[in-house]
Amino acid sequence: MKISFYRRIVQLVVMIGIFMIPLLNILEIYFIKGTFYSIDVGDVAMADPLAVFQSVITSETINTVMLISVIIPVLLAMFFGRVWCSWFCPYHFLVEMLQKLRNLLKLKSIKPEYSESLVNRSNRIRLLFLLIGLFITGIAGIPLLNLISAPGIISSQALVLVKFHYFTFEIVFILFLLIMEFFFFYFFWCRLLCPTGIFLSLIDRKKAMKVTKIQPECSMCKSCIKSCPMVINPMNEGNNPLCHNCGICIDSCPDNKKRNTLRFKFWGS
Amino acid sequence: MSILEDLRNLLNNNPFKGYYKINRLRPPGAVPEKRFMELCIRCARCIEVCPYDSIKRADLYERLQIGTPYIFAEEKACYLCMKCPEVCPTKALDPDVTDKREVTMGKAVIDQELCYNYIYYKEEKTRKVSGKALLCSTCYNACPLMDEAIVMEKFILPVTTEKCVGCGICTEKCPTKPEKAINIIPEGMINKQEAGFFYRKYNIKPAEEMDKKAINKHKKTIERKENISSFGSEPDFEYDFEIQKNIEGWD
Repeated sequence: MKISFYRRIVQLVVMIGIFMIPLLNILEIYFIKGTFYSIDVGDVAMADPLAVFQSVITSETINTVMLISVIIPVLLAMFFGRVWCSWFCPYHFLVEMLQKLRNLLKLKSIKPEYSESLVNRSNRIRLLFLLIGLFITGIAGIPLLNLISAPGIISSQALVLVKFHYFTFEIVFILFLLIMEFFFFYFFWCRLLCPTGIFLSLIDRKKAMKVTKIQPECSMCKSCIKSCPMVINPMNEGNNPLCHNCGICIDSCPDNKKRNTLRFKFWGS
Repeated sequence: MSILEDLRNLLNNNPFKGYYKINRLRPPGAVPEKRFMELCIRCARCIEVCPYDSIKRADLYERLQIGTPYIFAEEKACYLCMKCPEVCPTKALDPDVTDKREVTMGKAVIDQELCYNYIYYKEEKTRKVSGKALLCSTCYNACPLMDEAIVMEKFILPVTTEKCVGCGICTEKCPTKPEKAINIIPEGMINKQEAGFFYRKYNIKPAEEMDKKAINKHKKTIERKENISSFGSEPDFEYDFEIQKNIEGWD
């Protein structure tokens, strides 16, 4: 079975979940509560590490609750890489659907051509954006990057919609991003600007799961480069911070039908 | 130097950390507004667990407060179920606040020109009739801390006390139209240092005069202390009673 199949199932479950959670809360079932800024399942707390980090630097305090809620997301990023972005994030799912729609309408591709300089430039842009954002957050004294956290806004807008039957202004930001994604820039938010994704990619990933070419000989057809949404070379850049382990390159590799060539590798083995 | 001082004050007092409005309250258990804006990550969990839909998510009109939780008391007040403080992941809502009497959301203030009972009382005194007067005790009856936060003076005049927690139920239920006779002043709004944007916008002058008086008082104290001198000769000590040479019976 293709990896994309499992990933779609997970993404659909998450999309349905962001509407089911507030519904359950309306029925006063509080087993799961929260949004993608911070969520509780039973007694297990999980929070966006960037949101907690911002809260720490603006309030200059740290408490046990914050630390505990950050453990699971950090462990997930340490052992599986940036799977949050490709497997769980509702914004990434929406953008993928938009790209499929573009293909369906046979519009000209807006994907940039792969090159090593492009990859390096992308990494510099995203790191610079995060640093500038944190700097402005420190000056303003308010967790400002939470105002542009796409998964957080989508899930909180779902909550507001289910509970109060309207949207707040934050939805305009998401709509603006989606329009830009559809017409002008290819995966620009996930690739270059999303502060949550950038922060997760900074977590140490030496032992993380990553795409690896385990067979030195391959047909060099470059299907993996063409299919990669992050515009990197999966053959030798599985360790790149841009890679979020979506598995599309593994599915598209024709050599995998004969023998294992491109695979996820775990814990540096 | 005054310009530099003003600049320092401006930068140190973030205007978006102290943006207050009447009848717009933070959820129960909220830390002071400045700290609240530092800690709140807009996760909307307090909105989610509120069974009465009292807590709303701030919209664009609330400026940089967008996304943070508010209770708009005129629409729906807080009913003090105390569910939201314990779910806050960053302690912007204090989880130790579990009793409704410990809540400090604000204070209710009654406008005696609008309150039906005060109009009634005034008309009884002056024996004039305007047709507006009513005997109404809605805020007193609706108050969750009845006879504590709102008491009835002279049997018909509602008066708020220091025990008012600012839940806003009296504002929500108040029948006067179009303006409410009883409104909630949010916690921190009266504090000049924390008011930030709200205070700066209106440039209230009496505060400056108060500052000057305080400075003068301080100077007088310093002058009085400086006049105390520890130099010079020590004065002769004099007893204010006559010393007895002998005490009877101690020979």
